[in-house]
Amino acid sequence: MREQIAKALFDLMARDESVYFLTGDMGYNLVERFEEAYPDRFLNVGVAEQNLIGVAAGLCNTGFRPFVYSISNFLVHRCLEQVRNDVVLHDYPVVLLGTGAGFDNGPLGATHLMLDDIGVVRALAKLEIYCPGDVGYGEALPERLLKRGKPAYVRIPKISFRLADGRPDDVLLLPAKAPQVLLIAYGAMVEPCLQVANRYDHVSMLIMNRVYPFDQTLMHQVLNEHRRAIVVEDHFAPSGLFGMLCQFCMHEGLAVRLESLAPEEHYPLTIGKRDYLNQLNGLDVAGIERAVLRDTR
Amino acid sequence: MPPRELPLAGQELKVDPQQVRRTILDILYRSGSSHLGPSMSIVEILIAIYASVDCEKIRASDPDRDRVIISKGHGAAAVYAVLYHYGLLTAEELATYCQNNSRLAGHVSHATPGVEHSTGALGHGLSVAVGCALGLRANGSSAKVHCLVGDGEMQEGSIWEAVMLAGHCRLNNLIVYVDDNRISSIGWTKDSVEVNPLEDKLQAFQFDVTRVDGHDLSALSQAITACGHNGRPFAIICDTIKGRGIPFAEHNNLWHYRSLNAQDYAQALKALEGS
Repeated sequence: MREQIAKALFDLMARDESVYFLTGDMGYNLVERFEEAYPDRFLNVGVAEQNLIGVAAGLCNTGFRPFVYSISNFLVHRCLEQVRNDVVLHDYPVVLLGTGAGFDNGPLGATHLMLDDIGVVRALAKLEIYCPGDVGYGEALPERLLKRGKPAYVRIPKISFRLADGRPDDVLLLPAKAPQVLLIAYGAMVEPCLQVANRYDHVSMLIMNRVYPFDQTLMHQVLNEHRRAIVVEDHFAPSGLFGMLCQFCMHEGLAVRLESLAPEEHYPLTIGKRDYLNQLNGLDVAGIERAVLRDTR
Repeated sequence: MPPRELPLAGQELKVDPQQVRRTILDILYRSGSSHLGPSMSIVEILIAIYASVDCEKIRASDPDRDRVIISKGHGAAAVYAVLYHYGLLTAEELATYCQNNSRLAGHVSHATPGVEHSTGALGHGLSVAVGCALGLRANGSSAKVHCLVGDGEMQEGSIWEAVMLAGHCRLNNLIVYVDDNRISSIGWTKDSVEVNPLEDKLQAFQFDVTRVDGHDLSALSQAITACGHNGRPFAIICDTIKGRGIPFAEHNNLWHYRSLNAQDYAQALKALEGS
């Protein structure tokens, strides 16, 4: 996904001279092409992430449209106040491109797990949150965000999954023949959830390529059409999409039973590869299937 | 004691340090607000900055305008007062400072006409200024970026991230003013973490540096004129007095926090009249 988004952004920079690429010394074997092709619109600010965000805000002030690349914790945790004050408060259309979603950097240890980043940025008013679940959506994202002109955080998962008949929709419903259970997923959880949904006539799938904001009318309608909804996410549930949808269901008075499949809310000190840690937390195909069937057995 | 009426723009209005200080006293007293000390120390610096820029371009939000970024946002009363004396802010709006439903917050807000960037949390403005300087240079603009920071603010790590990048990129369109009043929030800066000698430190980060009397308008203006000639960012370290012009507030960090009562206000006005 990272490579495809970078390619789309690279092409966009050829078409639009306002686009500026910033990195905080991240992106080995990815960012070099930007520096070579667009030396006047590329800057590595070094290992200085607070400055990275402030510089992006200043570039916006002078008419540029910065896309800022790093690992997510360096972008949103390290410089939360810069994101809030210098970007969001001023409504500067800075796009934060963050990698290392969920357990993607599992072997690197707890400091590099991204299990709370959505909660952190969702706490800010009106910062849009994108979590592409298929490569096709990711490829369309740079241009879409440029046109949209809002501050945004993009959580880039380490996946190569491409929907066969994918459309670049922010929210995509794949309805079951006899809908009872709804799987709701984003990012790396989309592919395993789809595998499960495809096995059962009663399981629908809702792909949330944009986690916030979401279409409330559509969400209301989709949730109302299902008896159960399971939010599957590689993020802590209370501060993740599950927490957002709990609020939504309470506010709307919906009767759907909302369930969560997500990592336990702690920072694990034992490491492992992404697939291992996902499996450990029930976020693989077998675990998702168990969650779907738990009710009907 | 009732606060004075603010003069209407164009009437008895001069960009004069003592007049600006009187305006600051008026709005602080009207609103019962704090930050007298850090406002009084930057009056001449702000006057010199705005004398060097094209205020009409700022008023018109011209893309080619000079950018003035006030990183020590708690000097808001002084900033608004100077904007008012330069005709960028009306008397009516200035009178709303720190009142209900006003745009004029106690830390500079970009909702206010003439204010480029909202600050208040320290250590933010210089990075934004560096971004502006990079952007203006990339646009081929000859506009400059003026950024005012406090000496206590120089303790923020993010300041040095920005300084390092500005030097590395040889941003000769950037001028950094350090309000070196030697007092931070709750005490002397040297007693928490000493930031001086700032000349040596900034020179090591590839800045051209000069130190001036921060209450000497002529010295400040000369320093601004000298900037950028060596292809490097420029720092003007301004020796200032926190609470300058108000004898009971000078060098006294109590007046970072305390608001003026009627007696203080009368005494302060009298001191300014006598100076």
